[in-house]
Amino acid sequence: MSVGGGSSVRRRWRTGPYWLALQVALSGSLLLLLILPIVALFTYAPVSRIVAAAENAYVREAIGLTLYASGIAVLVTALLAIPLGYLLARRRFFGRSVVESLVALPVAVPHLMVGLGIFFLVLPGSPLYSFTNAIGFPVYDTIWGVVLVMAVVSAPYTVLASQLSFEAVDTRVIEAARSLGAGGATTFITVTFPIALRGIIAGLLLTWARAVSEIGGILILAYTIYPGGPYNGPVTNTISVYIYDLFQAGDLVDAAAVSSLFLLIAFALFLAVRIGERSGWLPWRRGDLTP
Amino acid sequence: MSEWLVDAVEADLDRFHLGPVDLALRPGQAVAVLGSSGAGKTTLLRTLAGFLPVRRGRILRDGTDISDWMPEERSLGYVPQGLGLFPQRTVFGNVRYPMELRGRHDADARTEELLDRFRLAALKHRRPARLSAGEQQRVAIARALAAEPELVVWDEPWQGLDVEARHELGLVLKDLREAERVPVVVVTHDPALAFSLADSFVVLDHGRVRFSGGPTDLLEHPSDAFVARFVGYENVYDRATLEAHRDRPFPAWLLAEAGPGGIAVGNPEVVPTTGVPSTWEGMVRSVRPSPDGLSVELAVDDLLVTARLPRPWPVTLPTVGERLRFNMARTAVRRLGEDGEEPR
Repeated sequence: MSVGGGSSVRRRWRTGPYWLALQVALSGSLLLLLILPIVALFTYAPVSRIVAAAENAYVREAIGLTLYASGIAVLVTALLAIPLGYLLARRRFFGRSVVESLVALPVAVPHLMVGLGIFFLVLPGSPLYSFTNAIGFPVYDTIWGVVLVMAVVSAPYTVLASQLSFEAVDTRVIEAARSLGAGGATTFITVTFPIALRGIIAGLLLTWARAVSEIGGILILAYTIYPGGPYNGPVTNTISVYIYDLFQAGDLVDAAAVSSLFLLIAFALFLAVRIGERSGWLPWRRGDLTP
Repeated sequence: MSEWLVDAVEADLDRFHLGPVDLALRPGQAVAVLGSSGAGKTTLLRTLAGFLPVRRGRILRDGTDISDWMPEERSLGYVPQGLGLFPQRTVFGNVRYPMELRGRHDADARTEELLDRFRLAALKHRRPARLSAGEQQRVAIARALAAEPELVVWDEPWQGLDVEARHELGLVLKDLREAERVPVVVVTHDPALAFSLADSFVVLDHGRVRFSGGPTDLLEHPSDAFVARFVGYENVYDRATLEAHRDRPFPAWLLAEAGPGGIAVGNPEVVPTTGVPSTWEGMVRSVRPSPDGLSVELAVDDLLVTARLPRPWPVTLPTVGERLRFNMARTAVRRLGEDGEEPR
């Protein structure tokens, strides 16, 4: 922990040269594994093609739809997953381990299976098929299908993150608030939730990242997206399916160009959050929440 | 300020059983709850604060039974171990919190007042993680007072403080009970600090009350060996040990005075020469200097006696293996009851 406001002292551990070399070699190898495929993408696609991709209406529609659907998925997840995380963190109930394992399941299996599961659930002719259509949430080849798959496969990250964050809130801080006159709900709103918020947001970021990158379930449930519900644009695909199509058609350069474009967008978003965290745009600073 | 009565309260936490505990607190009184780790001190405080159900007995505030009340309804300022400051709020936000809850329109002005009083004004925009232990302590007490409690209940107030901060906190707590007339319950495992503040004491051991009373009583008539050791008697002998050595003159003398729980002896002194009555000889095992003199551990056969060698210290300190004489005053001998015996 840094000491004093602003005057943080940077400490270095004194270590032997071999130990240091081992650390650098191992973490360096992983970084290379992460960076090299990106480098390969960017070198395969000339800059002109990346710019062309950015100007292509179909690419823009696909990226727009992906961001739009993933945004809705994150909102839905926030609404449903945070309460479940709280429940798992604070209450002891029968079958808790079963629930915890169930929550982790969508992450652990190939997402094609998740898509298949939803596919069979809302098979044309099934009661749920008529029901979802009747209430205006048709799933097949609509944005709702995309949102549904995204939410199912990515909600576990937020459930887990909020569970851990709520568990990490010191009971004694909560008890102090109660003793100072705050009721149960007030304590949650003014103390527990704000303290857990940072971890929850980290979970929502992961959820968003996982939602954007989803393809398996979408291939089955919403390969082509027709206008409907909150989406009124032209017929399109998610960006993942779009790139998959380009690859299947043998258009490797365009596949690389669109991928590079999307990588840049994702990288910019993550960077913005990190910088915001450092510079105090966000309602917390590093170190504030860990006394 | 209210009058509090804890009437034979019992509580359970998992397999741990606490009580029955009796406490009476008039305005301006301070009770210290003493005991080693795991004695049930925190359990007692959390029961008073309403976080553990009262299994038997009652908690009365001005005659009203509040045993079933929610923690937020008790007007009781509970300061948990580690203080429980809000990490996401600034010093200002922490102190303001209780007044926000009550919707006080003068919350800002009152907060400034409290910050001034506890010398926190310069730190008001800091978050707790960036304060020293002593500063955090002051935030905790300012925040507790902002809720205008009828009783302050503080778990280990002195924990993690250096000597100066301890002294200062002692003054704050004294002021709290003397000027504001707020009754105070503190928990500690350090008897010296407890004596500096409290006028009445409860010693807990394994969830049971081993002693309850004032400071003189606690020092002059420790109820059993546990309490005697706890308040600082270094020479405590149980009956079995003394009986095993009854044929030797030194233990035999003690045995004659011993109660069912043995005996505790205060202030044995190293004496210069032979010829003084009631003196015995022992072999030096270790020597520990202190401001009041030397503390010398002597072995008489296999019994250990810690005796004081008052200042001025001799030019050459006693060495290990040297033989010294010490005396024990009959007036300093305390008869002890059975361990775990019901308190008188």
